[in-house]
Amino acid sequence: MRNHNVTIGIFIVSGLALFTLVLFTIGNEHKAFSPHVDLHTEFANISGLTKGSDVQVAGFDAGEIADIEVPKSPSGRFRLVLRIDQRLNPLVRTDSLVTVDSEGIVGDKFVQIHGGSANAREAAASTTLPSKEPLSLADLLESSNDLINGANGTMKGVQGKLDGTLDAATKTINNANDLIVGIKQGKGTVGMLLRDQTTATEIQQAVANGEQATVSVKQASASLKHASGQADALVSDFASRGLGGKVDQTLLSARGAAGNLDSISGQLHQTMTEALGEDGRGVDAGGNIQQSLSNLTETTGNMAADTEALKHEFFFKGFFKHRGYYSLADLDPTTYRNDRVFTNPDNGRAWLEAARLFEQTSNGQERLTTEGKLQIEEAIAELGDGALNGPLVIEGYSSQSDSGTQLAASHSRALLVLHYIHARYQVDLRNIGAVALRNTPPPGVHKETWDGVCIMALKASS
Amino acid sequence: MIGIFDFVGAVGLFGLRVIGSVFRIPFELEQIWRHIGEAGVRSLALVLSAGLALGVVMTLHTRGALVMFGATAMIPKLQSLGFFVEIGPLVAALLVAGRVGAGNGAVLADMRATEQIDAIEALSMDSFKFLVVPRVVACVIALPLLTVFMDFCGILGGYLSEYTLSHISLHLYLTRAFQGMQWSNFVPPTLKALVFGFIIGTISCFFGYTTNEGAEGVGRAATSSVVVSSLLIILADVILVKIIFLTFPGSAT
Amino acid sequence: MSSENSVTLHGVSKSFGEKQVLDNVSFSVGRGEAICVLGRSGTGKSVTLKLILALLKPDAGNIRIGDDEITQLEGQELSRVRRRMGFLFQSGALFDSLSLHDNLALPLRRLTKKSKDEIEEIIDRVLGQVELAGDKHKMPRELSGGMQKRAGLARALVFEPETLLVDEPSSGLDRITASEIDDLLLDQKVRRGSAMIIVTHDLHGARRVGDRFAVLDKGRLAGLGRPQDLEKHENETVRRLVGG
Ligand SMILES: Nc1ncnc2c1ncn2[C@@H]1O[C@H](COP(=O)(O)OP(=O)(O)O)[C@@H](O)[C@H]1O
Ligand SMILES: [Mg+2]
Repeated sequence: MRNHNVTIGIFIVSGLALFTLVLFTIGNEHKAFSPHVDLHTEFANISGLTKGSDVQVAGFDAGEIADIEVPKSPSGRFRLVLRIDQRLNPLVRTDSLVTVDSEGIVGDKFVQIHGGSANAREAAASTTLPSKEPLSLADLLESSNDLINGANGTMKGVQGKLDGTLDAATKTINNANDLIVGIKQGKGTVGMLLRDQTTATEIQQAVANGEQATVSVKQASASLKHASGQADALVSDFASRGLGGKVDQTLLSARGAAGNLDSISGQLHQTMTEALGEDGRGVDAGGNIQQSLSNLTETTGNMAADTEALKHEFFFKGFFKHRGYYSLADLDPTTYRNDRVFTNPDNGRAWLEAARLFEQTSNGQERLTTEGKLQIEEAIAELGDGALNGPLVIEGYSSQSDSGTQLAASHSRALLVLHYIHARYQVDLRNIGAVALRNTPPPGVHKETWDGVCIMALKASS
Repeated sequence: MIGIFDFVGAVGLFGLRVIGSVFRIPFELEQIWRHIGEAGVRSLALVLSAGLALGVVMTLHTRGALVMFGATAMIPKLQSLGFFVEIGPLVAALLVAGRVGAGNGAVLADMRATEQIDAIEALSMDSFKFLVVPRVVACVIALPLLTVFMDFCGILGGYLSEYTLSHISLHLYLTRAFQGMQWSNFVPPTLKALVFGFIIGTISCFFGYTTNEGAEGVGRAATSSVVVSSLLIILADVILVKIIFLTFPGSAT
Repeated sequence: MSSENSVTLHGVSKSFGEKQVLDNVSFSVGRGEAICVLGRSGTGKSVTLKLILALLKPDAGNIRIGDDEITQLEGQELSRVRRRMGFLFQSGALFDSLSLHDNLALPLRRLTKKSKDEIEEIIDRVLGQVELAGDKHKMPRELSGGMQKRAGLARALVFEPETLLVDEPSSGLDRITASEIDDLLLDQKVRRGSAMIIVTHDLHGARRVGDRFAVLDKGRLAGLGRPQDLEKHENETVRRLVGG
């Protein structure tokens, strides 16, 4: 009997203890007892935030939404009371931007207070912080669709005018299609993609870069394909999973990219029209078309390479590896420098100087000169017929002053040459790669520095 | 149809009589204590093992989908929220309805059939206060406790299952499990087990105490107790969840 | 009505649904008097006893226990009246989750302010009277039918009731034990002056303990009086039951 009583006692006490434990754990989670500061912000649309939703300051879990005041008229905005840990207050400045973010596709919505600028005042309690309204997915998807249609239209126009000369382009587009289909089939890839902040940032960065430099056909087409391929995959993927409402926050970064794309696509269209249409200065149509054709060949080459470049984007790595797409295009400078296969002194090398290869176009970009093209052809001849069958790597170099520009310039130089070789000799893209080496050749080639390009033919392995 | 209203009315009155009797002396504390042992302690092993197994299974099921969306960090939260909000109270209640409900129904019906209830009355004790009220009170007290144990085991099971797959640390698991958790995700659902306990106690005692059909009525009372109390628990859950949502809008995550 | 009579039934009728079990039954029992109720099975003898204890409510008629109209009582009042009565159920009706000792201790502990020792003393004495002193710690399922009957009687005696209602005390018992039970009842009647209503089929015992017989037939009180008078009763069933 006594024993029985003890058991019942233990049952009740441990049950109550567990209950209390959970209460306190939840309490701590909300930092109900630690000193906090209330800040305010306003949104016209709070995308499903609720009282108690998390608040982060510069990505750090800082507190929760203490209250939401509902607006009194349609023109009003929801007023959010953000209760954050006092220790994080110094990070929040009067110009700290408040956004609504989301943890992945299906994750909770939360409020992100971005770190402010150091010279703005620290936000005192009850300050109303500036906010950025979340965009809706529907808008994004619509503009993506328009873009894809626009791009298709442009491509069709080009094809119609220059029927038959565009086999390469068709091939490339098919290639891009493969890619998109691949994404669609690749299980979970989109999920991974959406979750992956790095990729999103990369995309954004790429687009931003493209925008800064005056638009070149190459970059525009690459970005367009890149982003529209993505958008297409996203559209079908989301449509099939019916996730519409959930995704919009996650796409925050992708959204920026899509917005920019609009203008790029417009410019692309214009460029193409200019290249193909009547020339205002009265240059004869034949010459114009001739010029256009060579431009187009270049473009196609670029596109092909860009597709290849697309393939080695971070998020495709795993996917393509499995499908054997993994190629020389995947080279990264550090590995390249340290890989005996590439630094082998027995490899054939042709060093070409920048000054003779490239010239500046009016928009500040470089392009191959006629002399440069001849040089490349000579170099290929020197390397021997076998060079075109065996693996080729185009090393790009640039002696620009800052390392960022160096990287960009050496990359674009390598690509220009690569495209030319591809277009001229129809080299299999799997056998040709480009690598941006800034201004420093790899060890073992006995060159301190270089400005230009080096065509390197791998010694055929036995 | 009339039969249903008749039944609802009878059960309703019976429930009211229970509530009315609880606060009158004698409080039958000894009997309440005894029945907490009966309904609570003796259901513990069942609830613990069921909770553990359910925890493991639930993680196995939800994991795949969450991994596909790259939301692996959500696994612990889904587990804890699932158990706190719904699985814990509901499954604990259904288990107890099966075990204790059937027991109460059968024991009381048997006491009725063998004139033991008459004997209690003959000894000038209040058989209702002596037999029914402590059983109901014990269910009301024991069920929230069992719910907490169920929650605990569910999360433990989820952790074990997740650990074998991803070697997540207990600390990280718990941090994620409780991230963004509100009191309203835990307290009202756990308290809803009080209502479930009342339903189980009242329904099972109603069938046991009021049937007077001899030995064969015993089995029938046990079966009816389980069926009707399980059904009522689920119906009540629908209403209670709605009430909780209305009272704590924040908990409707 | 005088309080000379311990139990008085007046025009009591009871039916279950369509079935009329008792029809206008009246009789009374005085202090120190024992009435034996005879009748074929299913004639409502047990129902009569339960009506007297208000475990069932009559459809018509009055039942007085001393000066109290028990059919009108509820709650505390009812308890107070019931405490003056002891009831042996036909089935014994022991609480099967409690030991024999606890079966007797439960009412004593709950309804009296007696100390533990006093309670033990009463239990030992009463169990001794029914010769179950050695089986104190057994559970009801461990007892034979006859033992359960005696244990039930012991439980009916713990409050030393003024009125004892006994339903078939000797059924299932051997002759020797049965006559020991009869001795016990006789002792209660004579020494304590209890009023008794004994439902029985055992004519031998009934003639020893009972002062008067009440014979029930088809729900009606067919005969009421001393056994030797009833032997010459005009009703055939009464004569056969009384064994004339
Ligand atoms: N609670 C009850 N509900 C319905 N019928 C009952 C009940 N108690 C007794 N009866 C019926 O009343 C009749 C008399 O029963 P009872 O008094 O037990 O007979 P007996 O004279 O053998 O003791 C029986 O036919 C029995 O079926
Ligand atoms: Mg009987």
